[in-house]
Amino acid sequence: AAAAKKAALKGVHGKSVRKVRTSTHFHLPKTLRLSRKPKYARKSVPHLPRMDQYRVVRNPLNSETAMKKIEEHNTLTFIVDVKANKHQIKDAVKRLYDVEALKVNTLIRPDGKKKAYVRLTADVDALDVANKV
Amino acid sequence: MVAVKAYELRNKNKAELLKVLDEQKQELASLRVQKVAGGSASKLHQIGLARKNIARTLTVINQTQREQLRLFYQKKKYIPLDLRVKKTRAMRRALTPFERKLKTEKQKKKENHFPLRKYAVKA
Repeated sequence: AAAAKKAALKGVHGKSVRKVRTSTHFHLPKTLRLSRKPKYARKSVPHLPRMDQYRVVRNPLNSETAMKKIEEHNTLTFIVDVKANKHQIKDAVKRLYDVEALKVNTLIRPDGKKKAYVRLTADVDALDVANKV
Repeated sequence: MVAVKAYELRNKNKAELLKVLDEQKQELASLRVQKVAGGSASKLHQIGLARKNIARTLTVINQTQREQLRLFYQKKKYIPLDLRVKKTRAMRRALTPFERKLKTEKQKKKENHFPLRKYAVKA
């Protein structure tokens, strides 16, 4: 009872313990981080893949230098979408023509299109693949 | 090359539509190859048709998808943002008709006690 009267008179802030600070620097305290639980999807339906294999590879090249590359170096040359990267090109060629690419070299032509040299693995013949297409 | 008809496409289900889309894209790819290899004029004409076919297929796919989703969300409270009414930004933030209609008690009493009277003067 006496303690209650004392608390009522003084207010309840009498005792407060000081935190022990072991370093002079103040670092961000760790707080609660909640994961997202959206009440509705922002977009009703996710888009179909925008860079599918048909978008990446536009058409093969059949210039004289391209033919040389097919015969001598076992590589195919394609005109490719400018926004495609080498991983996408490799994947697209695999899906379209069922061939594995050893490496892909790309360059952007002066007329703004992207050219890709796709070197095929040794067990496939570039000439066969080119004739099939 | 056959022009794909939209009303025929609408009877198909999603898997078949995606297959049709894939076939059309393959056709377009082969036409592009022929263009590079010096195709005839008729083949080049087909390229335009192929592109429109792809567009038609995609339209049907997206239209039916969104229609179904609207049905699904009809009774729900929160709907996705692209299914909501578009109008304009200002109109979406404007007061609703109910909110515009609201009156204070004071105003209601005034209108009740002192309505607009109609009268005529005898000639």
